[in-house]
Amino acid sequence: MTAPVSYVALLEGGKRERTVKVTPLGLGLFEVRIGDAVHRIDAYRHDFGTLSLLVDGTSHSATLDERGSVVHVRLKGSLFPVEILDERRLRLRRAAGGFTVEGKQTVTAPMPGKVVKVLAGIGAPVKEGQGLLVIEAMKMENELKSPKDGKVVELYVKEGQTVEGNAKLCAVE
Amino acid sequence: MVGRPMTQNRISKVLVANRGEIAVRVIRTCREMGIATVAIYSDADRGSFHVRNADQAIHLGPSPARQSYLDIGRIVDAARLTGADAVHPGYGFLSENAEFARALDRAGIVFIGPRPESIEAMGVKTTARQRMAEAGVPTVPGSPTPIGEEAEARAFAERIGFPVMIKAAAGGGGKGMKRCDGPEGFGRLWQSARREAGGAFGDDRLYLEKYLERPRHVEIQVFADERGSSIWVGERECSVQRRQQKVIEETPSCVVDARMREAMGELAVRAARAVDYRGAGTVEFLVDAERNFYFLEMNTRLQVEHPVTEMVTGLDLVRLQIEVAQGGRIPAQEEVVRRGHAIEARVYAEDPARNFMPSPGKITYLRVPAGPGVRDDSGVYSGWVVPQHYDPLLSKLVAWAPTRDQAVARLLRALDEYTVHGITTNLSYLAEVLRHPAFRSGEYDTGFCTRYAKDLLRGPDPALEDVALIAAALSAHKRDTEEAEAFAARGGEATLSRSQWLRQGRARALRGGIR
Repeated sequence: MTAPVSYVALLEGGKRERTVKVTPLGLGLFEVRIGDAVHRIDAYRHDFGTLSLLVDGTSHSATLDERGSVVHVRLKGSLFPVEILDERRLRLRRAAGGFTVEGKQTVTAPMPGKVVKVLAGIGAPVKEGQGLLVIEAMKMENELKSPKDGKVVELYVKEGQTVEGNAKLCAVE
Repeated sequence: MVGRPMTQNRISKVLVANRGEIAVRVIRTCREMGIATVAIYSDADRGSFHVRNADQAIHLGPSPARQSYLDIGRIVDAARLTGADAVHPGYGFLSENAEFARALDRAGIVFIGPRPESIEAMGVKTTARQRMAEAGVPTVPGSPTPIGEEAEARAFAERIGFPVMIKAAAGGGGKGMKRCDGPEGFGRLWQSARREAGGAFGDDRLYLEKYLERPRHVEIQVFADERGSSIWVGERECSVQRRQQKVIEETPSCVVDARMREAMGELAVRAARAVDYRGAGTVEFLVDAERNFYFLEMNTRLQVEHPVTEMVTGLDLVRLQIEVAQGGRIPAQEEVVRRGHAIEARVYAEDPARNFMPSPGKITYLRVPAGPGVRDDSGVYSGWVVPQHYDPLLSKLVAWAPTRDQAVARLLRALDEYTVHGITTNLSYLAEVLRHPAFRSGEYDTGFCTRYAKDLLRGPDPALEDVALIAAALSAHKRDTEEAEAFAARGGEATLSRSQWLRQGRARALRGGIR
């Protein structure tokens, strides 16, 4: 594979897009074009997750933590969550449509834990940012807030119940 | 007092009644002292770091702490079964539970900590405040006894005036502690504090204290032995707190000078003597803008942040605790020498960008910092699944240097080297705290994290964005190239399998036949 490949990088949860064109020059050497800037790169992959980059002669150590489709790139204490798409993946993404808070929104557990309190029962009108449930994990209580104005139309859990990460908790419409 | 060992009685096996980093910390010192160790663990902790570090390990029960790490009967049985002659409780869990100390005493096992009477005198925070007032130690205004009813508490809060602190009478470590700014949120905070206190301590009694404006939290480490000596070992500044949980601790404090240190130290020793104290303890003070200080509470155990004291004094506080439990002597006051500056950062499994939501899960990769003046007290490893049942503390990263500025720079350098994959941590948040001008100047109080919340959540350095994109794109490129090669290889395999003739031809080729 020596042909140039173009990628689209999504930053800030998809709010910004930048195009990155990679041309392999052989044996860990690349030319990378971002916008108008062209860089000569010598890349060396160390142990799992660590990449040593010589960017135009400047040495950088990047660690990459793959989280599903997003990769967390850490450089000198700065963390960049980036989603990298090639042209085929970008087309698929565009066809599927973006994120939206239209319609029914399902609230899921951000981590495994225990439901200690249901603040808004079924049928309760809620405002965006209003507390829906309290989940206890790691000895601390965390309030989950409504993503939008509306009404609680589904409640999948009850107080005292233990839930897995990503479990459906309730839905607001 | 009964059961007070006046002679040296050597401890040969210690059961560590805790988990995570503090269990590992205690086991390390025991190993250095040639003392055998017993770990205890719950269902979720079979694979925990402390279990494989100990010489023996006993399974306690289900994951919830109430059925494992808080189960006095099972832990005493485990100690008896393994022939442990002493128990180190760590911090949290049963470390400040007088019943636990008594149960061990009845079983003829040494509790590495103070006498049950001292724990009780200080453990119920309201009793402690009364005792301190009697001993001439100044205290923060508040309710003299625990308050049972929400309505009564609300009335008391209105009488002393908002803001108030709702606190667990059996509390410590920020659990069951809530700041309430006005009558509107009172009911919700009161109930939440009650549940947290019940869950964390098995005791949901609450009391109220007046909230002091812009106070600093400064605490004094004390030590007492059974031979009549009590000393203070300097202060720790713990004003960088979030939700009443300490985040960064340092010693010395920027607000304490030699004279104030001595005054606080002597008061702390007086507080310890007033409850006939033994072993390691910490007397916490609130310091107001005029540098007046008030007794807040005494923690009758080893503190999470004890390593900063160890770094500047060169003492091993766990070793001292064990020596005191063996009937040994503590150093004389003038033998305690402090040198340089130490800062600790608590590495938590939590996501600052999502309101510090806990982030349990599997650590897929871990690399810890090293180099001059750095200490990492960790309880985790690469491959460990951080359970949702316990505190989110992964590790305490400590830096020592001759001056405060150098210690800050060193801790920042070490935080930059710290790599944790798979779960989200507060590492970047910790670095932002250390970089913040208010922290740098030393002019900060317990409101620091709230006041500068926005500054502390600053995004990544834009100057590094191109490099980050290069890293991500090259990584994706490598993955795509490897996938394409693997696909080609599999495709070739599939075609070959369809034809017996071709497969034979390929086999011949592999044996070095026709090409």
